[in-house]
Amino acid sequence: MKIAVKINDVQREFSITPGETLLELLRREGYKGVKKGCETGDCGACAVLLDGRAVNSCLVLAAKVDGHTVVTVEGLEKNGELAPLQEAFLDTGAVQCGYCTPGMLIAATDLLAHNPDPSEEEIKEAISGNLCRCTGYVKQVEAIKLAVQRMRGGEDA
Amino acid sequence: MTLTKVSEFVRPRNLTEAFSLLEEKKARIIAGGIDVILFPTPAERLIDITALPLSGIEGGEEGVSIGATTTMTELLESPVLRGYLNGAVCEMLRQVASPLQRNLATVGGSLMIGHPWSDLITLFLVIGADVTYFDGEEHEVPIDRFYAENIHRRRVILTGINFPAVRRGTAAAFIKFSRTAFDIALLNCAALVETADGRCTAARIAVGGTPRRAKLLVRAAAELAGKPLSEEVVVQAARAAQDEAEVGDDIRASADYRRELVGVGVYRVLSRIRERLEGSA
Repeated sequence: MKIAVKINDVQREFSITPGETLLELLRREGYKGVKKGCETGDCGACAVLLDGRAVNSCLVLAAKVDGHTVVTVEGLEKNGELAPLQEAFLDTGAVQCGYCTPGMLIAATDLLAHNPDPSEEEIKEAISGNLCRCTGYVKQVEAIKLAVQRMRGGEDA
Repeated sequence: MTLTKVSEFVRPRNLTEAFSLLEEKKARIIAGGIDVILFPTPAERLIDITALPLSGIEGGEEGVSIGATTTMTELLESPVLRGYLNGAVCEMLRQVASPLQRNLATVGGSLMIGHPWSDLITLFLVIGADVTYFDGEEHEVPIDRFYAENIHRRRVILTGINFPAVRRGTAAAFIKFSRTAFDIALLNCAALVETADGRCTAARIAVGGTPRRAKLLVRAAAELAGKPLSEEVVVQAARAAQDEAEVGDDIRASADYRRELVGVGVYRVLSRIRERLEGSA
């Protein structure tokens, strides 16, 4: 079957089988920032924005996104500039092995789009579906706080 | 992982068409689609009902109607539900799965699958919710009957859930015991208490993930009838719940442990309700 999807602001068409997942489709089409981890919705490495909300792409059938909008980590930068969240992850040392990073960035993007001034608890809750085995999560929480501060204009914080 | 059995993915234009597609062959309704992937069946045709007008939340204290394809995130962010029954539905949903999954999971999908560890069913039982479904015609049944008669296993399309009006002096609470924040419940508990002039006029208590699907504890709730919700009465009801609940062993916890959890859980939800009633008095 054929589907039409807007991915990272580009309208695309794909031939898919009705039973394949969005994760499989995206990686086949070269969106390798979408990581394959557990394939059971537990690790969050495959997270993408579907109509603006962060979801596990391993738990979404590709057929379901026909007519919808998907953003992968590749789509977070604008005009060659990293998004404030991406910059903050680099500056804070929140990127170590990097496998969880795309999913964390997607989850955090959803959070800040719906709650621009989250508490630490809200940040932790937002990334609770994203497993990281390097950092112990401290750096990612710091990075998201830093991005919040920068987006509100407090560059030096 | 690719569902190799699936050969067809369709989006019907209305409920009647969806139902006729469901009748013809090995077919399954899909909404968020999580369980379709995690718990595959021999279904060859998937019928996506998320394009039908089955999403949305309406109402207030006078009662709430929720469409089947409303996501858990939409419920959590709904001002209507924050204002209904001291936000008990949001209190429960914050403990269900991860935000990534709550952005996909729908209330209808969750109820139709009816996992025994479901947190929603436990709370919805004490709320006294009604389930609406379509099998060629519309039906509305109390949620306890929906499961007692195994309607969720029949060829039906769940269309929504309705919560009743809340009288003054009513409060509810939910608690989940699990190993990690979004792990499946070892056990969950919910209670709702109606009071008038400081005495309980009606109460419902339920425990789920026992490891079987949630059930109302009728005798434990009867312990509260006509009494003020004092510490002593709460303790009595928690003990009665331990006697009444049918608990068993599974991979997550032993029956003995679960029986302890029933006592602790019921004590805590009733204590929380007591605080909430005092806070609103």
